[in-house]
Amino acid sequence: MKPVVEVSNLRKRFRLPLDRSTTLKYRVTHWRSASRYRDLIALRDISFDVPAGQFLGVAGPNGCGKSTLLKILCRIYEADSGYARVNGEFSAFLELGVGFNPELTARENVFLGGAMLGLTRAQLRGKIDEVFAFAELEDFAEQKLKNFSSGMQVRLAFSVAILAETDLLVMDEVLAVGDASFQEKCFDTFSRYKREGKTIVLVSHDLGALEEYCDRVLLLNRGEIIADGPAAEVTSTYHRMIADHALAAERDMPQELRRADPTQWGSRAIELVSLSLLDAGGRSTSRFDTGSAMTLDMHVLAHSEVGDFVCGLAIRRADGMLLAGTNTFLDHVTVTSHAPGESISIRYAIDSLPLLAGGYIIQVVLQDVTGSHRYDFADPAATFHINNMGGHIGIVEMHGRWQVAQEQDVRSSAIPQTAG
Amino acid sequence: MTVAVHDSHILEGVPRSRSVFQRNLNLIRELSITAFKLKYTGSALGYVWSLVKPLMLFGIMLLVFSILLKAGLGQWEFPIQLLVAIVAWTFFTEATTNAMNAIAGSGDLIRKAYFPRWILVASSMTSALLTFTINTALVLIVTFALGQLDLTWLSLLAILYYLELVVLILGLSLLLSSLFVFFRDLGHIWEIVSLVLFYGSAVVIPFQTVWDHSKKLAYLAGVNPIAQIITDLRHVLIDPAKVRSMASFIGPLEVVPILLTIGIFLLGFAVFHRLTPRFAESL
Repeated sequence: MKPVVEVSNLRKRFRLPLDRSTTLKYRVTHWRSASRYRDLIALRDISFDVPAGQFLGVAGPNGCGKSTLLKILCRIYEADSGYARVNGEFSAFLELGVGFNPELTARENVFLGGAMLGLTRAQLRGKIDEVFAFAELEDFAEQKLKNFSSGMQVRLAFSVAILAETDLLVMDEVLAVGDASFQEKCFDTFSRYKREGKTIVLVSHDLGALEEYCDRVLLLNRGEIIADGPAAEVTSTYHRMIADHALAAERDMPQELRRADPTQWGSRAIELVSLSLLDAGGRSTSRFDTGSAMTLDMHVLAHSEVGDFVCGLAIRRADGMLLAGTNTFLDHVTVTSHAPGESISIRYAIDSLPLLAGGYIIQVVLQDVTGSHRYDFADPAATFHINNMGGHIGIVEMHGRWQVAQEQDVRSSAIPQTAG
Repeated sequence: MTVAVHDSHILEGVPRSRSVFQRNLNLIRELSITAFKLKYTGSALGYVWSLVKPLMLFGIMLLVFSILLKAGLGQWEFPIQLLVAIVAWTFFTEATTNAMNAIAGSGDLIRKAYFPRWILVASSMTSALLTFTINTALVLIVTFALGQLDLTWLSLLAILYYLELVVLILGLSLLLSSLFVFFRDLGHIWEIVSLVLFYGSAVVIPFQTVWDHSKKLAYLAGVNPIAQIITDLRHVLIDPAKVRSMASFIGPLEVVPILLTIGIFLLGFAVFHRLTPRFAESL
């Protein structure tokens, strides 16, 4: 069976003109230099196939070429060389409600949006009540779209977008639309597509969604595929990439610059001077294994006498998701500054890191006991990385245990039991 | 836990029509109906404006030429000649002006959805054609009722000339809409060219007047498709005996405007086809 999507040696370069020369006067007066431009290579040499029924995710940092790839798949851009072929009908969700007109009624917009998908008025007429029921907009069919709230517009747009039967669905981060209850409907629809064996290509920054829905993820960077494999593997590669990038950025940053960093803010009555991450042997490192010990070693300098204060910390995934956080107040620990110029050492020891492979960020906050006044906020105060040891997937190590009890019955008695 | 399943929870897709032609035709229809609707909603008189504008031009020209200049144009049924020409001319300017913006003004659509790009040009043309058809029908009915038209079997040729006009406009629309994306001066240039064409195509005067004035000028004006279409329309619609056809003026050179029309259409098609892949990146 032919793959639904065939992409071979795809290259795409954008020529960005340095001056916009779209007027006659400019063309005439600058005819010698009219061809000044800068080349931006969006896709270098991309090849992949998507077999029927696969849910493929495409991830990568901004500007990696993922949107360009999608637009070439949807025939909006033309490739410079190579090809992207779709065998069958496709629906593109690059943006919801493309072609909708605010001056038309919802019903008229359904006909217009449907026509953009390739559905005729006659085909839509028998379907229109269902569309409004699905969008939960039964009472608004004759209202002009401009009087709709943005949530209502999105609901209508989504309902129209899924109207055409299709072999391939191409989506660009439209997963989270509408309110919570409608979102559920969207996810139900995607799950249904998956069950029905539809082929889906989804571009997203939401690694959680990619991991949950995709069978396979492509990781793009600077126009090249740098990873291609099962979702869990590739997303963890991506986490590592982000963390490495953050570490590199931190290494390159001179000490003075770091102090001037606008992400460190607060009144600085007391200040976080340093944070080191120590391994079990007390050595400073940024790489840890799942289950290993980690100690956060902080040095705080008091510029004025503030009395008791609170030191808080948060661990986030590289994409910003909060994983854990605590502070001295919650844990009933008192920290006090008695005099200006005093240096205070604060340590937070984690016996066994429950995190799985990926890049992580630590934030540290120093504030007064009421939580209303902030002295210092370091974001990120440090970044670290958990090595990929294979095995478990997700973010946290569950520390669970399996227990299997096997009862003797007719079928299993045929298999000889070997006691451990 | 049980999950309540509403029938409104699932929306099954509808299979698309197999015929790409039918899909495109449907999209053109929807887009032009929308454009037509949007043009007239919100204004009190709505469609009447589309009739008032050419009638106003007609009234002014009639006043200027037949009364103030006393040009003695009576013998060639001047008012009806003017009316037929102005309705056709209004279609020409409206359609080409709309077309100029058909691509450049649809950046959002072009960057975010795929459909054949020529559909935008075709639908902008179709909505102008809709106005034109209604206006022409009204004018023909009224003037026929007033006994100004001498309709014969020959008058059916008018359909061919209207078709020629549509092909000419389509060619120009393809050319203008695609070039305008890259070359914004075209809007102003086209306004000037239109003005020259308006007077150079004998829209407001019978071609006979040009012919009587200067043969050389008549040949020059006669080879342009607009002049030929308008003159021949007048010939077949008004009175073949009194109003001469273009061929009777310029003879076999009549093929020039027809070839030009076909040439412009092919050129427009080629240029549009060539520039289409660059639209999405340039808008």
